[in-house]
Amino acid sequence: MTAENGLDPVIHAPARLRVVVTLATLRDGDNLSFTRLQELLGLTPGNLITHLRKLEDAGYVTTVKSGSGVTSRTSVSLSEQGRQALDTYTAVLRQLLDSVSVNGTSPH
Amino acid sequence: MLEDQDMSLQEAAAVVHEARARARRELVISAPLVYTAWGLVLLIGYGAMWLSVRGQHPYRGPSGVSIAAVFVLAGFAVAAVLVIASRAVAGIDGQSVRHRRIIIATWAIGYLILLSVQAAISGSATTRTYAFVAFAGPLLLAGLIYILASALGRNRPAFALGAWLVIVSASCAGQAPATILAACALAGGGAFLLIAVIEARLGAHDS
Repeated sequence: MTAENGLDPVIHAPARLRVVVTLATLRDGDNLSFTRLQELLGLTPGNLITHLRKLEDAGYVTTVKSGSGVTSRTSVSLSEQGRQALDTYTAVLRQLLDSVSVNGTSPH
Repeated sequence: MLEDQDMSLQEAAAVVHEARARARRELVISAPLVYTAWGLVLLIGYGAMWLSVRGQHPYRGPSGVSIAAVFVLAGFAVAAVLVIASRAVAGIDGQSVRHRRIIIATWAIGYLILLSVQAAISGSATTRTYAFVAFAGPLLLAGLIYILASALGRNRPAFALGAWLVIVSASCAGQAPATILAACALAGGGAFLLIAVIEARLGAHDS
């Protein structure tokens, strides 16, 4: 894992990074249905649930289930903490990429 | 997809870039397309009405064909915007959905008021007053709606467009019908197309 290079290990996994980036596109106060998120990312329901749980445990996303039976809807949104974590992640990533291009080294 | 596979920095940057581009393409209503649709309605539809009244002595009003063209173009624009919006917002709920409902309700109420005023003054108003209400009125309403939308969505280009449309339509007061139609077609339609280009460039720059 990559905690030593400053990248948040919770976000620094392809599927979770895509989840967080996708949810960050929504406006503040908006949420996305689980099924639409799954369709956008092309993940299986079980896979997506696993990643969402990790992000939820870190306080980065919020999931809310409403209704019951066929009308039930699970909505997912990025928390303020998650938005800040993504901002920090992309800033650190940019710095690391810049240092790689200057020094020619490749930190993982 | 592998679960917690490690990524190189370059791979992570590529994931961010691709996920952001896809999410914007799929989840955000394309402002350039919406602005272009309405810009063409004004430029072509109002332009056709302007050409049909230019040089009329005495003034008889726009030709039936040009009026029909406006309604057909507006119908296409409404349908296009509905398709684009319904695809983009599928699965999204929350504040922006409530804002959109407020905007649509305000638009519908405003347009009904405009039609009522138009009907009420049709027999008594001067040609210039009637032309102002009938031709510049919808543009004035659109300007106010864009200002409202910009306040709700914190969107500067929408505010600039709304303010410009209000200025253009207000400056039509007291003008001859042909002048009003020309101003709406060129200054109004042109502004929509200009904002479409600006939004497209801003979108390309952000991604």
